[in-house]
Amino acid sequence: MDIGAIVEIARQTTYAMTPLVLAAIGEIVTEKAGVVNIGLEGIMLLSAFIAVYVAEVTGNPWLGLAAGTVLGAFIGVIHSMISNYLKGDQIISGLGVNLLALGLVPFGIEAVWHVRGYHTVPPEAKVPALPLLRISPVFLLTVLIAVATHYMLNNTGYGRKIRAVGENPEAADVVGVNVELVQTVATVYGAALAGLAGAFLSIDWLSSITKELSAGRGFIALALVNFANWNPLLALAGGALFGITWTAAEWLKIIPEIKAVVPISLLNTLPYIATLVVVAGFIGVSRPPAHIGRPYKRE
Amino acid sequence: MERQKLIESLYRFAEIMVALIAGFAISGVIMWLGGYDPIKAYRAMLGTSILTTDPYNLAMTLSFSAPIMFTAITFAVGVRAGVFNIGAEGQMYVGALGAVLVAAMSLPGPLYLPLAILFGSLLGALWGAIAGVLKAYKGVNEVVSTIMLNWIAFWVVEYTRVDLLPNPRDPSKTIEMPEPGRLPILLKGTELTASIVLAVVVTLLSYYLLWHTVLGYEIRATGMNPRAARYGGINPERAVLWSFIIGGIAAGLAGVCEIAGRPPHYAITTGLSNLFGYGFDGITVSLIGANHPLGIIPAAIFVGGLTAGARGMQIVAGVPLEMVKAVQGVIIIALAVPGLLRLLKTRLTRGGG
Amino acid sequence: MAAGSRGAEHLIEMRGITKIYPDGTVALRGVDFYVRRGEIHGLLGENGAGKTTLMKILSGLLRPTSGEIWVNGRKVSFKSASEALKMGIGMVHQHLALVQVFTVYENIVLGLKAEGDARLRIEKLMEETGLKVPLDVRIENLPFGVRQRAEILKMLYRNVDVLILDEPTTNLTPVETDELFETLRRLKNQGKTVIFITHKLREVLEVTDRVTVLRNGRVVGVVETSKATPQQLAKMMVGREVVFTVSKPPREPGEPILEVRDLWVRNDLGEWAVKGVSFTVKAGEIFGIAGVEGNGQSELIQAITGLRRPEKGRILLEGRDVTGFPPSKLYRMGLGHIPEDRQGLGLVLDMNVAENSILGVQRGRRFMGKFYNLLWSSIRRHASQIIERFAVVAPSLDAPVRSLSGGNQQKLVVGRELSKEPKLIVAAQPTRGLDVAATEYIRKLLVDMRTRGKAVLLVSADLDEVLQLSDRIAVMYEGEFMGIARPEELTREQIGMMMGGYRLAGG
Ligand SMILES: Nc1ncnc2c1ncn2[C@@H]1O[C@H](COP(=O)(O)OP(=O)(O)OP(=O)(O)O)[C@@H](O)[C@H]1O
Ligand SMILES: [Mg+2]
Repeated sequence: MDIGAIVEIARQTTYAMTPLVLAAIGEIVTEKAGVVNIGLEGIMLLSAFIAVYVAEVTGNPWLGLAAGTVLGAFIGVIHSMISNYLKGDQIISGLGVNLLALGLVPFGIEAVWHVRGYHTVPPEAKVPALPLLRISPVFLLTVLIAVATHYMLNNTGYGRKIRAVGENPEAADVVGVNVELVQTVATVYGAALAGLAGAFLSIDWLSSITKELSAGRGFIALALVNFANWNPLLALAGGALFGITWTAAEWLKIIPEIKAVVPISLLNTLPYIATLVVVAGFIGVSRPPAHIGRPYKRE
Repeated sequence: MERQKLIESLYRFAEIMVALIAGFAISGVIMWLGGYDPIKAYRAMLGTSILTTDPYNLAMTLSFSAPIMFTAITFAVGVRAGVFNIGAEGQMYVGALGAVLVAAMSLPGPLYLPLAILFGSLLGALWGAIAGVLKAYKGVNEVVSTIMLNWIAFWVVEYTRVDLLPNPRDPSKTIEMPEPGRLPILLKGTELTASIVLAVVVTLLSYYLLWHTVLGYEIRATGMNPRAARYGGINPERAVLWSFIIGGIAAGLAGVCEIAGRPPHYAITTGLSNLFGYGFDGITVSLIGANHPLGIIPAAIFVGGLTAGARGMQIVAGVPLEMVKAVQGVIIIALAVPGLLRLLKTRLTRGGG
Repeated sequence: MAAGSRGAEHLIEMRGITKIYPDGTVALRGVDFYVRRGEIHGLLGENGAGKTTLMKILSGLLRPTSGEIWVNGRKVSFKSASEALKMGIGMVHQHLALVQVFTVYENIVLGLKAEGDARLRIEKLMEETGLKVPLDVRIENLPFGVRQRAEILKMLYRNVDVLILDEPTTNLTPVETDELFETLRRLKNQGKTVIFITHKLREVLEVTDRVTVLRNGRVVGVVETSKATPQQLAKMMVGREVVFTVSKPPREPGEPILEVRDLWVRNDLGEWAVKGVSFTVKAGEIFGIAGVEGNGQSELIQAITGLRRPEKGRILLEGRDVTGFPPSKLYRMGLGHIPEDRQGLGLVLDMNVAENSILGVQRGRRFMGKFYNLLWSSIRRHASQIIERFAVVAPSLDAPVRSLSGGNQQKLVVGRELSKEPKLIVAAQPTRGLDVAATEYIRKLLVDMRTRGKAVLLVSADLDEVLQLSDRIAVMYEGEFMGIARPEELTREQIGMMMGGYRLAGG
């Protein structure tokens, strides 16, 4: 393999890892505050859809990214209401979001573009790649977000509040931290990043919208959270690892020698198998926040 | 005590009704935003599925409730063991694959069906057991692992469809289940086959298993308190694993029944289009049925009705089929809210007074 | 020093406080509770008297069903603990409200806006109060006594005037207890007011100025400590003369039933919790293990009952090596286990009485048919028998165990375990949280079992319980036995020393 190929693989990996890392970092913040959102997949999908719609109508991809982020945040608000204020079941709420997306997105595609199942994003609605490097500006933003989030969690008063709430909400409550509010901020932040990830999928990387667009990435992001031991910088590194399997699968598909032996369908299983193996291998090394997934109820 | 129990059940029932209404109402608004007439859509949907006397429509509703009854059992048994097994989708795929593998053999006629059932449920159980082992002995989050396994199953089955067992006469699907291996059609001209009978039997069996066998006792104890279960001489890991295996069998049977019991294809079609989604529908069914086998039967008929009625809705009101999934999503989100009814009541009385 | 004009006499006035919990439990019935400025006020009462409830109300964690609270002459109504904290009232709970993965420093300043010279101020505070704590060590790496000091510091740093301590000495060694009392006296001299919850008479007499005694949700009296006698306080607390001794007929112990040889066990964190313990429990004998909680007793019990794998050593049941056997096998060989955590371990709270009555024996021949089916009629008969024989009060066999009171839950567990007719009974904290009647009843049952020739291994943090019931006693400290002796051979002081880590001379 020559240098050119390696550079190309690296370039494609930046694309493959971006949605995983964005969603994972968001979920890290959410989970650090003690809330689990397994609806990432659904948020990605819904935001991917709205991003295409807004970018096409306005002709402005940046507005598309913003729309995806805002929709994600909005779903985060709903999940927060249910999880943090009404003390509902976080898993079921997340499942509902995923199923909702599975219905709404194909419905929306047909309602808006009058086609069944698949719509291609026109060039003017696409996020332009950076010149020279030919990578997405969203990737750079992602790196920035990873660093900023890491700093925020570990070096600011608010970050300390978030971590306290996820570890021992009672202790935080007693000293005057508004537990529900902090959890809501963290949940909305996480959902917004998942929304941005979805928008990136449709109007940046894959230039299309289908009901299978997210292809399990929301759940891979959940695995990545675990793998990264709730550390945003490790999520960035781990995301690169996960992203490479995706890129590798695509590369293998176009290598004639491989194509002849291994059918394309089977190569498609690669990222999922890799996720399973990695997660199974790394569990137990990591340590989740102590009060994760349970609503905080005052007596 | 009995009285209190009854009141509690009624309360739970009312709560589920509220969630259903919320599901329809919110989805109605979305339809309206999309430029459709929700009243017309719902009338067409329910009028061609549940609220009708037309035997054809009722038969179609029942036929669609069969697979999701199976997959609801998958989810419900998981919940009873304290896990969120959302892998029915993939377990159903491999179950269907098992049936197709049997269909591809040349066997004496009467052997097809029993072998398909055996193979399909075995493969389903195996697929479930992978997630089960990962959960019980490695601590891998089952939500993540089952979704990964769903995708792996999808591509593996898609691979067999394209490369291993394509139908020589129709490349868009696999080899068909031969005549003698098919489940009998219960109502001529409809898709209603003995699948529904099997589904109900398996659902009742799962009820018996959970509340009248030691294994069920141990599964439920584990789900409610794994530490107490271990104290009680139960191996909670093994109980969890069993729940995945039982769930996998149920989902595998869903797949088998779609191959052996759904005209006209009797095979897996392109992109698994004739299977896609039944696993996730099972989650809705289970949650609406309060994760109880006896609640699952009516819930499956209801959701089966949505699926059956979706066609009517599309023809009459032009609303895309998938809208019914959105309705389900909203229903589930509403079900996640505890004490929905109480909440509503205080809001209403506060607003009114 | 507490004198003054009538209005200013009391810093805290709680008037007519009633508390009914959502489940209908009436915890307080019109309690009047007054605390003077600058005193150490004891709040004494039996389990379930309502002490914690009353103080949770004062500290804003719970809202009273009715009644008024006045602080410093002003009527207050706290919506949360943080509001009470802002008003200068802080409560140190039995389970400390600290973030385990944070350092002491982080915990102290959590939620505060400006940190500024926080570190300096904390250090000064430590100087003044004598509460020495390493600021940059994570809570989870500190022993309980130090954590408690950190929690008190956290309150003081927030300028509390009133410090409420809920049974602070439960998990302390005698030495640590003395240190805590020293600190409380210092705080008092600095003008702070302290409310001290306990049910230990000796502590009340040692450190408080006045005592309020609660019984069954009512105040039965307020006394000046200097004028009080232990007998008087005990009578107020229990409501009758306390002549509590279980009659224990003498009995010669028989064959060894349980033998533990050089047992080594690790805890969840992988540290050694049990370090080479050896002992034997014979038929017809109660062997008691005393000690401050958290010194390895739980891990020892878990190893013996099959819930935790020992690293080294042997466990023999009737001479047979059963090291590492799972609970199900041990039960079949004649083990009965009354676990310390009945709600988390001994019962499945959401299952009903009948289902819980077979936990552990569900695969027994009486309850399981040929096809692994449950024999419900036989199970229900069994459950009814337990209820009858052990006087369990339960609404019905179908009632979830969660709806039973703590005492009845415990009776159900004890009944289930004893009805197995085990050869060895392991009882951990069997009467914790129970009222006098239930406590007496369960103690009597244990003594009966012993007299009928069963071997009983009793672990209890209640020293009186161990002393009264046991034929032989071991005191456990940091995973080791400090000595084994007959109760009459030991003085309280000796046991206190052993609980604090001194070996029994010559033992
Ligand atoms: N959250 C709750 N819900 C219902 N009942 C409760 C609750 N907390 C306490 N109780 C009940 O209220 C009564 C008083 O309990 P409380 O904890 O105040 O007693 P206490 O005096 O602190 O006892 P202890 O010495 O055991 O700590 C008891 O009967 C107890 O069972
Ligand atoms: Mg208390």
